[in-house]
Amino acid sequence: MELFTPDFGLIFWMFVAFAVLFLLLWKFAWPAIMKGVDSRAELIDKGVLYAREAKEQLDSAKEQAEKFEAEARSRQADILREADKMKSQIIEQARTEASREAKKEMEAAKAAIEQARKEARQSFRDEVSAAALEIATQVVRNQLADPKAQQKLVDNILDQIETAD
Amino acid sequence: MKNLKLILALSLALVAFVLPQRAAASSSDDAEGGFSPKEIIFEHLGDGYGWEVPFDHHHRIPLPVMVWADNGTFHCFSSSHIDNHALYIDGDYAWQVPAEGPNKGKVVRILPDGTEQKPAFDMSVTKNVCALWIAVLVTLAVCLPVARWHKKHGFLAPRGFVGAVESLMEFIYKGVIKPTLGEDSRKFAPYLLTVFMFIFLMNLLGLIVVFPGGANLTGNIAVTLVLSLITFFCTNLFARKHYWKEIFWPDVPMFLKCPIPIMQVIELFGALTKPASLTVRLFANMMGGHMIVIVLTLIIFIMADFGAAATGMATVVSVFFSIFMLLLDVLVSFIQAFVFTMLSTTFIGMAREKGHDEHHAHSPATN
Repeated sequence: MELFTPDFGLIFWMFVAFAVLFLLLWKFAWPAIMKGVDSRAELIDKGVLYAREAKEQLDSAKEQAEKFEAEARSRQADILREADKMKSQIIEQARTEASREAKKEMEAAKAAIEQARKEARQSFRDEVSAAALEIATQVVRNQLADPKAQQKLVDNILDQIETAD
Repeated sequence: MKNLKLILALSLALVAFVLPQRAAASSSDDAEGGFSPKEIIFEHLGDGYGWEVPFDHHHRIPLPVMVWADNGTFHCFSSSHIDNHALYIDGDYAWQVPAEGPNKGKVVRILPDGTEQKPAFDMSVTKNVCALWIAVLVTLAVCLPVARWHKKHGFLAPRGFVGAVESLMEFIYKGVIKPTLGEDSRKFAPYLLTVFMFIFLMNLLGLIVVFPGGANLTGNIAVTLVLSLITFFCTNLFARKHYWKEIFWPDVPMFLKCPIPIMQVIELFGALTKPASLTVRLFANMMGGHMIVIVLTLIIFIMADFGAAATGMATVVSVFFSIFMLLLDVLVSFIQAFVFTMLSTTFIGMAREKGHDEHHAHSPATN
């Protein structure tokens, strides 16, 4: 059968055609294509690796930030607590100071009042004694004149004193 | 459903159109000696001087016939002179393509006494040779833009047609060549990629029915033979020591290889059957695909003798199955190109394999 016997002319031409095609493609096509494909694959691999690293870094940075934040928060709480303590301390101190001061003031006031009272009493006593003396002198002066008038005088003086008080 | 109705209507119209013609033609067919499917099949599958023109059996695209006669003289003439078995007389030489006999379909010199003499060399640019060069041009036109893209745009991924071709190349390069050959892939990839693209495009061109295609290239044993011989030489010329050791002194019990070289014969036979299997696989698959499509088309004309209804039914069935087979052949075109490339890669890869001891000896240097 003609189909199964290779034709010499066609073998020759096939060889020539394939050689020409191979040489042309070998020279002008495949090196550029293989280099392009390989370098692109490398670039993609590198890109993926880089992205993964970047993500890891980002994750770690996030973690770090969270740590910092937590630390800052606890520090803030500490400071707040400290401030609160200090505040209450100061208030307490102020309160005690104030109460002490108030006590002192009160005592001073008490002493002054006492003093005033003493003085008042003294002056009252003086006045009363003076009045008594006057009464006594008047009584004594009018003793002999009229007992009734004497009584009346005494009442008058006493009334006077009462109203004066 | 709508499409089915359309197809039925069209096929019925075709029947009505074909019937009177067949009736008219049958008488002339009988005069020519009847309708011979075998003749038509082999004419379409085989090579020829000149290229058929669609719808015209009397004219062909002329191609140069180049022959060396037995006495060493070179002759070159247009194939239009010897179309339809015509006798061409060129001075003292007469050339003809015999219709019958042992030299059927080949150009021969007709000696004055009427005997046929085969030329010493027939280097004619036949239909297949012309198609071969068209395939070379098409392959170049397909592959070079990809290279140009890579030179121009570097690592950017191409789009459109160039992108499609590149993805095909990358599929072969990354999917077949690199995993099999490893560090040798840069060395052998140019050959393997060329083989793949060339076979694939030849297969596809063969499926186009009219002029630039239609030649049954990869379904021709000469074409596949050359390709598999190149693979054979690649395998054996670049083989490492381990490959030859496996052939001539394999690791088998001594009685299998020493007094009578049983294993050596088997291994050598195996090495020689590899290119043979490559040749026949591609050739048979592609030729089979073409033959099935032609036979399906011929069913119409075979059934013509059984009346109008049979012809009509046969037309519908034949067109449907022809389209199906042609689509299947597109798939087969890719698969066979892929298989040829993959097997070539595997053969080369097996020959490049390092032996265990060799591997250990080299490993400190290579690592």
